Formats: sequence, structure tokens, C-alpha cells
Amino acid sequence: MLKYFTAALALLAAPLAAQDFSEGSTAKEWGLYGESPAFFAATVVDPLCELTGDCPDNCGDGRRQLALLRTVDDVMVLPMKNSQPAFTGAANEMLPFCGQAVEVDGLLVTDEELGAQNVYLLQKIRAEGSSDWIKANKWTKEWAARHPEAKGKGPWFRRDPRIKAEIEREGWLGLGLEADAAFLEEWFQ
Amino acid sequence: MPKLLLKATVALLCAAPLAPAAAAEGERVTITGEAIDTWCYFSGVMGGPDAVVGSAHHTCALWCSAGGIPVGLLGDDGQVYMVLKIEGDDTSNGGDTQLAIASHQITADGMLYKRDGINYLVVAEVVADDDIVRMTHEDFGTVPGFAIPEPK
Repeated sequence: MLKYFTAALALLAAPLAAQDFSEGSTAKEWGLYGESPAFFAATVVDPLCELTGDCPDNCGDGRRQLALLRTVDDVMVLPMKNSQPAFTGAANEMLPFCGQAVEVDGLLVTDEELGAQNVYLLQKIRAEGSSDWIKANKWTKEWAARHPEAKGKGPWFRRDPRIKAEIEREGWLGLGLEADAAFLEEWFQ
Repeated sequence: MPKLLLKATVALLCAAPLAPAAAAEGERVTITGEAIDTWCYFSGVMGGPDAVVGSAHHTCALWCSAGGIPVGLLGDDGQVYMVLKIEGDDTSNGGDTQLAIASHQITADGMLYKRDGINYLVVAEVVADDDIVRMTHEDFGTVPGFAIPEPK
């Protein structure tokens, strides 16, 4: 009887334990502390809508962060990063799939000490049933299309008008131009 | 007794899927914390947590905020609160309101929703903005080191 009880308890505990989603994943390693490859099926959702019932059309049309409601366990995973090493998020990559069933591949990042749980680096996405993956790397292309006036050499974040305006106003440290000047003198000595 | 135990376990097993995996009931809160770049903080990609806050990381926080990486409040309690909306502005994907508070310590009054280990915050009102309070550049310079381009 005890063995049935133990087995039943194990079954009960299984969904509570951290699950392994590495099977089938071809995600590239980033060498991050706490990263684990994760391939899973999900629905693309608007987290603000899920949590509060404030649900505009098309998940907010690109204004909002988006999330993945994982099919197997109903966990809401928050993709924070797309696949580009360029300070770029994941919401734009998921927007074409708002409300749709998808499969995704990428890296879950877990760090209990910092509270990182169910956060994700999205590397590729495809509609459920499709065999064609779409790389989650279109952010910079979209930025360039939105900012023809910022065309030039160097990465987007050196040319972005809003970032440049903030730095011109508050400095690189955000402490004002005077504090910046003193720091720069020492920093580049 | 063992039968009773088994019945209780089976009852638990049956009931488990019916319980919400993560209820999304809001709670009114006031949180003081720094508006951080959550990716660098959680991933450790730029170094430890002390290095990716405050003035040292301000430029990178601007890049990440403008780049659509979620902005969070690193509360005085050490927890991170993902900001989904501020004073009616739901542009959490690279919006101007979130960009303007990068690295600032703010006090926010709003609703907190907890789901699957993540704290989500809907800010009704920013009741205080104390600007940047962590002078981390004194210890770390800039993080990343290439944040400021070399003068030509």
C-alpha cells in the first residue's frame, strides 16, 4: 500500500517541480548562468489582458509586452529577449502570432536568488502545425524601417534618436552633464 | 487506514488540476524601487546584480528600455516587479514613459499581480521620482565597459 501512496504523491508533486523542456530543442547556448534550452507549445498572449482583463485588439498592436501561455501546464512564460545580441526584446517577434498557437525554441533563464523564473530568450517561433521556423531576429530591421532618418554606421542603439536625446540631456551616467564631464576625464585617462 | 490514505491522495490528485495554477488576483501596493533593465539583471549577461543597476548601467538601461526589453522595478525588498502600465500608458514595449525613468528610483502606487513566479505591476500613480540614487559608476565605471564610445 505504501508504494501506491508514494507513487501517487510523486504524481502529485511532478507538476510542481521544475520541468525539463530541453527535448527537441535546438536552441543555441548563450553561456548564461541558469540558462536551459526549452522547446514548447504555447499560445501568444497579452499579459496585461490575462491579468487584468484590459484587452485591446491585436494584443495592443505592438505597444505591450507579450507572453507565452505554455500548453502543457498553463504557465505564463515571459520572453524578455529576442535572439539578437543587441539589447532587443522579444515582443515584436511574437506580435504576428497574437492569440495564436505556436511552438517556440529558446532558453529559459532561472535564478532563484534573483527571482528569475519562467523568463525566456526567444530564438525562433512557428505557428502550430507549420514546419517553417521564423528566427526571432527581426527587431533591428523593423527599427531601421521606422527610423530612416537615423541611417548610418554602427549599431542601432548608437543612432536611436530617443536614446541620443536622453544622453544629451542627462549624460551617459544619467546624473547630468557636469557629473559626466568629471567622470569622462577619469574614465578615458 | 491505508485505504483512507489512498482515498485522500486520489482526492488530492483529482482536485489538483482544478485549482488555478496561478491565480491573477490583484493586490493594492506601494513599491519603491529602481526602474531596471530586467534582462541584464536576471541573466547575468553583463555581470552580477550590483553592477547592472544605477549610474554604471544607465546607458545600457536606456538601450534595453528603448529596445523593448521589459522594465521592472527592483524593489527595496529585493524583488523585481515587471511594469506593464504606468499612469494609463500601456506602452511597456519600448515606450517613452518607461524610457524616461530608466535607472530612477521611483515610488509607485498600483496593483500587483503574481503569476507563475513573476510579479507584474500596473502603476496607477508615480508618487515620487528620486532620479538615480545608486552611484554605481564609482565602483564599476560603466557596465558594459563600451557604453561610452572612446573620444575621437
